Amino acid sequence: MLTIYYDSTFDGFLSVVFEIYRQRLDVGSICPDRSADGIPGDMFLQPFRVETSEESARRLKRAIVNEAGEDILMTLDAAYRSEEPGIEMKIFAYLKRLFSGVDKKFARNPTSAEMLPLFKIAGSVRREAGNMLGMVRFAKTADGTYFSEIEPKYDILEFMIGHFRGRFANERWAIYDSKRKFGVYYDGHSASEVFIPNLEAVTAETPPDIITQLWKEYYDAIAIKERINPRLLRRCLPVRYWKHLPERQPGGLSNLQSGGLSNLQPGVAC
Amino acid sequence: MDVREKLNILANAAKYDVSCSSSGSKRRAMSGGLGNACSAGICHTWAADGRCVSLLKVLLSNACKYDCAYCVNRRSNDVPRATFTPKELIDLTLEFYRRNYIEGLFLSSAVIGTPDYTMELLVKVAKELRTVHRFGGYIHLKSIPGASPALLYQAGLYADRSSVNIEIPSDKALQYLAPEKNHESILRPMNFLAERKLEYKADKSRFAPMFLPAGQSTQMIVGASGETDLQILTLSNGFYQQQQMKRVYFSGYVPINADKRLPVITTKPPLVREHRLYQADWLMRFYNFRYDEILDEQHPNLDLDLDPKVAWALRHPEMFPIDIQTADYEMLLRVPGIGVKSARLIASGRRYGKIRLETLKKMGVVLKRAKYFIYHPDTPASLRNLYPEVIRPQLVRQQLIELPKPQQLDLFRDCHHETNQLLLPAS
Repeated sequence: MLTIYYDSTFDGFLSVVFEIYRQRLDVGSICPDRSADGIPGDMFLQPFRVETSEESARRLKRAIVNEAGEDILMTLDAAYRSEEPGIEMKIFAYLKRLFSGVDKKFARNPTSAEMLPLFKIAGSVRREAGNMLGMVRFAKTADGTYFSEIEPKYDILEFMIGHFRGRFANERWAIYDSKRKFGVYYDGHSASEVFIPNLEAVTAETPPDIITQLWKEYYDAIAIKERINPRLLRRCLPVRYWKHLPERQPGGLSNLQSGGLSNLQPGVAC
Repeated sequence: MDVREKLNILANAAKYDVSCSSSGSKRRAMSGGLGNACSAGICHTWAADGRCVSLLKVLLSNACKYDCAYCVNRRSNDVPRATFTPKELIDLTLEFYRRNYIEGLFLSSAVIGTPDYTMELLVKVAKELRTVHRFGGYIHLKSIPGASPALLYQAGLYADRSSVNIEIPSDKALQYLAPEKNHESILRPMNFLAERKLEYKADKSRFAPMFLPAGQSTQMIVGASGETDLQILTLSNGFYQQQQMKRVYFSGYVPINADKRLPVITTKPPLVREHRLYQADWLMRFYNFRYDEILDEQHPNLDLDLDPKVAWALRHPEMFPIDIQTADYEMLLRVPGIGVKSARLIASGRRYGKIRLETLKKMGVVLKRAKYFIYHPDTPASLRNLYPEVIRPQLVRQQLIELPKPQQLDLFRDCHHETNQLLLPAS
């Protein structure tokens, strides 16, 4: 049995699956490089490395689209972006049964034991991508570029680019995923991938200005004090996102703790 | 007075307006312009009270000439007054928008001078944003009751959504609490805009200009005057049917003014009731419930202990439990614990095979509620009955917002106290 290492990209993963079929490998686990660093592999599994090949990824994608459909490929891609440990084997289990040809109706059944977990994970990835659209906070740098740092749970930056390109088509902006150490820069015409080796230097250039101050005050003013409800707030806006939201930074009423009654209140629908 | 102070005063004055949605409009960015509108709507942050913030919600002015009892900005209240100039407001909107703080502008106003004058200012802000700055973000404009049709029509051309708040669900109570207003004056702009929107919709051309693409909404205060939930739901159903409203909001009355016509100032906002009303509203909009199924003459108020879907299911034991393999999609939607997503998953999944209990669990069905109302291949035949009086207490216990904390019994103190209470009846 093998542990297969690859370069942590979706194409890389598809190449792994391709090689498993081509070389008839007996696979025990599939491990991306990002989680392999410094962690000793399973001592009962033999390490094996697969290099990414665009050609094999393309062929496998075509096979998935032919067997199951475009939307299923997109669901697999979204589920893959969750970066959860073991997601590769879950996707592989689905593909194995898809290509086994035993059950003709298997491909598009969302409730099968293989598909349902992928379906749910893809749902949470897409949900975070949708929520993150609102939680990007740009700060204006000296040269007029708008810069934002995010730390999403899942690898969703690429899902968000289209939205911001449509919205701020004539601005220059950059969104940087500091957890995965890559970002996207849009120069007013096209978007490109960027790496920022020294992030502190960039964030130091964008101190909170008067607009940020106004925003914080607005945020504090808009809450109804009689209805303060920290539990509901945490449910809608999980604490892990607060770090990059200026309005949730200390120094305002926003951190006001509640009185007794508020913990009991149900949510407001909006 | 600088912008900062004005923003503070006018945001504070606008916070009791609950509408926050930025959905329903799909506006593409204009060439050379800034911003678009996303039809699903985007929440940008959540305030300390847990309500989402998606628009810059401010009043243009809070110097009102009316004296409505329930309103914080009424003439007779001693609060600081401020008025934005259109330019200040536009700059603020654009700066916030570029930093992705907001989805657009929600502009309301107190009535200054005449309704026409106020409406003119609101339209001016929207027009300048759209034409001069080529702003494609979301704009929600309040229609001021009493403003001329020509101005309302203009507002419809520039705004994505418009709203007039009915505030008090019954006309009589409204006239009592707000002497300058009545239902007729509020319904007139609503109907006017709804009719114009229908006319625009009839034009199927790709190049037809948009008219209020996100429709209209309204809001009513719950708990300030003595209406029943049935009256409130009947009214909101009318809005959905006749005025083609996109949303009806409910706002639990927060006592802000000491007024002998209103509940006393120490009243707590009726949050649970408001929550139940929203649940009922969801049932009407997404679950194909009719308002007269949720409530009727015998049950004019929503059950505060149980959500309206469970309450409905318990009133109809003859319909449950249902077989999830064969029941209609509409019936699946009516099972407490099954939402729209799960119902869709079940409906598409059962074509391929039987759906069992563990699959339901993985789908995200709330089994602790749903289990009483469905049966599946593994349910023994003897359990395929629903006894409302037996399961009601269990469901009520589940829905308690805070369960009573389990307490270690004390052999000496507390028990003694309790036995005392038990032995001695209230005499």
